[in-house]
Amino acid sequence: MIFKIDNVKKSYKNGEVTEEILKGVNLILREGELTSLVGASGSGKSTLLTIAAGLQPASDGQIIFEGKNLTSMNAEQVRKIRAHQFGFVFQFAHLVPFLTVEEQLLLMLDVSESKLKIREQKKEVDKILKLVEMDHRKHAYPSSLSGGEKQRVAIARAIIHRPKVLFADEPTASLDSKRSKDVMTLISHLTKTLNIATLIVTHDEEMLSFADHIIKMSDGQILQKV
Amino acid sequence: MNIAWKEMKKSKAKFMILGSIVFLVSLLTFMISGLANGLSQESAGLIKDLPAGQFYMTKEADQTYSMSRVDRRIQKQILSKEKDATAFSIQMGFLNDGDGKQQSVAFVTATSSKQFKNVEKGEIVLDKSMEDNGIKIGDALTNNQYKGKFVVKGFVKHSKYSHASVAYISMEDYKEIYGTDEMQLIFIPEGGTVPTFSGMGSFSNQQFLNTISSYKSEQMSLNMIIWFLVVISGMLFAIFFYMMNVQKIGLYGILKAIGVKTSSLFKIMWTQMVFITVIALSIAIFLSQIFTRVAPTGMPFSLTTETTVQLSIVFLMIGFIGATLSGLQIKSVQPLQAIQQGEV
Ligand SMILES: Nc1ncnc2c1ncn2[C@@H]1O[C@H](COP(=O)(O)OP(=O)(O)OP(=O)(O)O)[C@@H](O)[C@H]1O
Ligand SMILES: [Mg+2]
Repeated sequence: MIFKIDNVKKSYKNGEVTEEILKGVNLILREGELTSLVGASGSGKSTLLTIAAGLQPASDGQIIFEGKNLTSMNAEQVRKIRAHQFGFVFQFAHLVPFLTVEEQLLLMLDVSESKLKIREQKKEVDKILKLVEMDHRKHAYPSSLSGGEKQRVAIARAIIHRPKVLFADEPTASLDSKRSKDVMTLISHLTKTLNIATLIVTHDEEMLSFADHIIKMSDGQILQKV
Repeated sequence: MNIAWKEMKKSKAKFMILGSIVFLVSLLTFMISGLANGLSQESAGLIKDLPAGQFYMTKEADQTYSMSRVDRRIQKQILSKEKDATAFSIQMGFLNDGDGKQQSVAFVTATSSKQFKNVEKGEIVLDKSMEDNGIKIGDALTNNQYKGKFVVKGFVKHSKYSHASVAYISMEDYKEIYGTDEMQLIFIPEGGTVPTFSGMGSFSNQQFLNTISSYKSEQMSLNMIIWFLVVISGMLFAIFFYMMNVQKIGLYGILKAIGVKTSSLFKIMWTQMVFITVIALSIAIFLSQIFTRVAPTGMPFSLTTETTVQLSIVFLMIGFIGATLSGLQIKSVQPLQAIQQGEV
C-alpha cells in the first residue's frame, strides 16, 4: 500500500452556508493497479482527485503517501512531492504552447530535478515518446497536434519522471471512442509496466473494463467498491 | 531548460510589440530630455560650462546678480588674494551687423582668466552660432550706445546665455556701453576651502543658477515634462507586463500544477523583462546618440551620456518594479483554476 486517503472531508463556504462536498472518503491505491472513480456529475470526483494530488487542501482527514501525511506538509513540501512522485493527466492536455513535444518532456524532467545528463534525458524522452507512439512528432508544437495526440503527449509528460502515483481526471473526455480506448489502453499498460498506482476519473462506462478496481461516488461519499 | 527564451522565440510578435513600446517610450524620453538639456544649455550654458566653484555678489543685490555692483577696491582685494578668481559681468544687449540687422546678444566682460575670453578694446569674440548666422571674422559690428565699431576676432563654441549668443567685449567697451566699470560677479574655481568676504554672498554653481529666476522656472517646467514622461512610461510598462501576465495565468497554473516553483516563474518573467528592456533601451540610446550627431546646428539639443545612463537605469528599475508588481498575481495563481478553466 503506497497511497491512502483517510477520512478526507472537504467543504466550501458559500456565503453564509457551508457546503460539504466530500463527507469522509476512504480509499487505498496500490502500485501496478488502476483504480477507476465513477459517479454522477457533482458527486465530488474531481475534488477528491485534486485533493489527493495535493492541488488543493482538504478540510479534514489525511492523505498518506509512503508513510507521510500530505495534509500536514507546507506548500513547498507538497510541491516537491508533486514534482517528483506524482503525475497528472487532465481532461485537456494543458501542454505548454511554446514548447515542442520533446521540450515538454524535458521540462518535466527538469522540474523533477532529474539527475540524468541532457543526452540521457533526450534518450529517455525518445523512449517514452515511443511508448505513447508520438516519437515521430517530437519537434512539433502543441498547436499542430490533434486532440488525441496532445493527450498522449500529456500522458507521456505525466510519466516521464517515473512517478509513483498517476492521477487522471477524465483524460478521454475530449476524445472519440477509438482514441479514448487507445489512451486507456496506454494508461493501463503503463500502470502495469511502470508499476504506478493510478487513480482515474471517468464518465465513460466503456472505459471501466480497464480498471482493477471501480469505485462509485455519490454525494461526496463512496457508495460501493467493485 | 530556458523557458523564458523558448517563449520569446515562439511568440516573437508579442515580445516585439512589448519591446517597441519600451523602445518608443524611452526614445521619446531621451529626445525630450535632450531638448530640455539643450534649452537649458542655451539658457545658461555660459554658467553651466564653468568648473565647480563659488560665485560672489554683493549682499545688497539680494540674490539678483544684475543689481550687484562689486566695489572696485573689494574686487582688487579679492583678485589679489585668490589668483584664480575672476570678476565678470553679463548684460543683455544688441549688435547690428553691416546690413543694419539687429541681433540680441549677452555681452560678457571679465578680468583676465581661464574661464572667460578676454578681448582687446574694439574687438569682440562671439558664440559659434553667430558664425552660422553669416557673420565672419573681420566683420564690423555696431551698438547704439557704442561710438566705435567692434571687429569680430573669433568664435567660441557653446557660449549661450538667456537664449542669446554671448559676445565677449573688453572692460573699457563695457564701461562705454553700460556706464560702469564695477563688475557684477566674482567667480573662484573650487580650491578646497570656500573663502568668505564681508558684504558678499557666496553661491555654488547650482545655487547661483537658481538665483536666475527665468532659468529656474524654465528648468522646472522642463524637468516636470521629463519626470511626467518617466512616470507615464512606468505606468505603460506596468500595464503591458500586467496584460502579458494576465494572458499567461492559465499557463502559470499548469506549470505550477506540474511542480514548477513560483520563484522560477518570477525568474522567467524577470529574464524576459530585462532582455526586452535592455535591447529596446540599447536601440533607443543608439538612435538618440546618432541624433545628437546629426541634429541641425540651430536646434537646442544636448544629450549627455550621463543623462542617458541615468534615464536607462530609471527605466530598468521601473520595468523591474512594473513587472514584479504585475507579477504578484503569479503568486496567487492556483493550479486548480487553470486546470478547471480548460484549454490554454
Ligand atoms: N471551488 C469551489 N467552490 C465551491 N464549490 C465547489 C468548488 N469546486 C467544486 N465545487 C462543488 O463541489 C461539487 C463537486 O464538484 P466536482 O468537480 O468534484 O464534481 P465531479 O464529480 O468532478 O463532477 P463532474 O463529473 O461534472 O466533473 C459540485 O457541486 C461543485 O459545484
Ligand atoms: Mg470533474
